[in-house]
Amino acid sequence: MKYMKKQFYFTKAIRTEILFTPLLIGLPLIVGFSFIYEWYTRGILQGSSAFNGELILGIIIIIGNIAFDMPFIKSLRVLTKKK
Amino acid sequence: MVNVTEKLKDAKEKINSLDFDAHWYRRVFHSFGASFLLYYLLPDVDWINILKLWVPPLIIVFVVILEILRLRGKISSNHFFGLRMYEKKRIGSYVFFAIAIVILLRFFPQQIAIPCILCATLGDPVIGEIRKRFSNNYVYIFGFFICMYFFIITWFKSDFLLIIIVSIVGGFGAIVGETKKFWWLDDDFMIQMIPACLLLIIWISIPYLGLSYPGEIIYPSIFPW
Repeated sequence: MKYMKKQFYFTKAIRTEILFTPLLIGLPLIVGFSFIYEWYTRGILQGSSAFNGELILGIIIIIGNIAFDMPFIKSLRVLTKKK
Repeated sequence: MVNVTEKLKDAKEKINSLDFDAHWYRRVFHSFGASFLLYYLLPDVDWINILKLWVPPLIIVFVVILEILRLRGKISSNHFFGLRMYEKKRIGSYVFFAIAIVILLRFFPQQIAIPCILCATLGDPVIGEIRKRFSNNYVYIFGFFICMYFFIITWFKSDFLLIIIVSIVGGFGAIVGETKKFWWLDDDFMIQMIPACLLLIIWISIPYLGLSYPGEIIYPSIFPW
């Protein structure tokens, strides 16, 4: 798939990308752990299985995001080294 | 002369690495969308309900204005990292992605909205990776099972027959939405809306099938924020 590329685009775009990185990586993990926390406090501690949905979604969000975060961070580090 | 050749080679490598980087950036951007499921976890308190009512449409208005400015050339497309070539003169896929998520959050029951959002946020990048590494036949087969999986695990509270129907219909709808390409309508919209519309028909038919509605997947938090 072709992405838009221009000579001056390189540094500008990378800056945008680096600025957004903490949000793109951090927020889904916080949300995922919030779901698991909710399952723990209302499900486990109160002995209710009604909150298993929160556990499932929390795990999916965390695993799904980590699976894509790793190669993304790796590619970003390679790029920083090249620069 | 050697220096120039080396510099050219280095520049080429940098541009190639940008391709790779934009590719992973788009994948991460997709998976980030799963964070919007926090919407259902927010406490059922008056002021938060007002925020839940107004913030999603305001985000859409902001995104649409941003996109109009980009298409009119007021904001350079160079600021939009990872934009594809065909999106240069067309509405960006992120607008379709956001609109579909907001429609699902606002107008569909969470039992339908959650798996459809998961299909777009996690299923779509996985399908994209399969497409990149293997042939299109694998995309249809694995894509169907991946999306089906999201429907199975989110409808786990319902009757077994309903889980089977919903997962097959949902998985089929999602894979059709993902593989069917239109210039004017992005697959990020279709992968969410096609299964959602199909499931809405099933949702309306549940009482007529003699089945019971599944319970909510996520309950609002009760913490005093």
